[in-house]
Amino acid sequence: MSQSSVIGAGTVVHGNLQGEGSLEVFGRVEGDVTMTGEVVVGEGGAVRGDISASKISVSGSVQGNLSGSEGVLLERGAKVVGDISAPRVGIGSGALIRGHVRTEGEAALGQAKRTPGPGVKPATFAAKPVAKVEPKAAPPLREAVAAPREAVAAPVIAERPKEKPPERRPPPPVLPSLGKGAKGKKKKDRDE
Amino acid sequence: MAGTVIGEGLSVEGDITSDEEVVVQGNLRGKLTSSDAVSIGPSSVVQADIAGQSVSIAGQVTGDISAPERVDIQAGGRLVGDVKAARFTIADGASFKGAVDMEV
Repeated sequence: MSQSSVIGAGTVVHGNLQGEGSLEVFGRVEGDVTMTGEVVVGEGGAVRGDISASKISVSGSVQGNLSGSEGVLLERGAKVVGDISAPRVGIGSGALIRGHVRTEGEAALGQAKRTPGPGVKPATFAAKPVAKVEPKAAPPLREAVAAPREAVAAPVIAERPKEKPPERRPPPPVLPSLGKGAKGKKKKDRDE
Repeated sequence: MAGTVIGEGLSVEGDITSDEEVVVQGNLRGKLTSSDAVSIGPSSVVQADIAGQSVSIAGQVTGDISAPERVDIQAGGRLVGDVKAARFTIADGASFKGAVDMEV
């Protein structure tokens, strides 16, 4: 019991509170609160300053940062304007908060996600140039065959394959081939 | 149970204003004002002016005390500062250094 402190509803503290054990605030504290144990800001309690403790439970209002080495719990009726950082953060329904929330102490999860990202990308870049080179090597054979017949036509054929590899176009659309006049015939049938 | 308790492990640097009973068992540096009873526990160290309806001191206090009702220094209590009160008792075993004003 001696380790537990209470700031009653009719009490206002202007200044900092620091110590061991637990603290319950039902009144007002205008200053920073640093405790080794638990801090409870009860209903009607108000703290304007940073709170740092092992566990922080808020049902009143806090204007300042909350830092819990074990956890922070915002219960119904809590109003917090400030940042929260703790390994475990609980925000109950009916609690209001404006600020950043950070669950610290689980850094292993964040690191695992980052490492595979850069490893995959270089592999895809390396594969592409190899595929592009092959079609370029093949055309000269065709050129050699065409050359004896017409000297003028040969360069034209030779140029075409060079352009081909970079422009990777999708295959031309396949149109259903209808006979000449088939469209008109169909239209007529429908009209009749 | 008292309305406000500054527990044994707690240190307060600043002013405390209250309209309910205040019990100090820890450390206080600043000022303590209450419209109800104030009690300074045996293990506490207080460097503050204290004003309350009645003030009871069992710990170490440095500062002026004023109470419209009464001020009591318990055995083992130690006060360095002036006292202004209608009634004032110093128990056997208590130590006190300061002036007393009982408004005679």
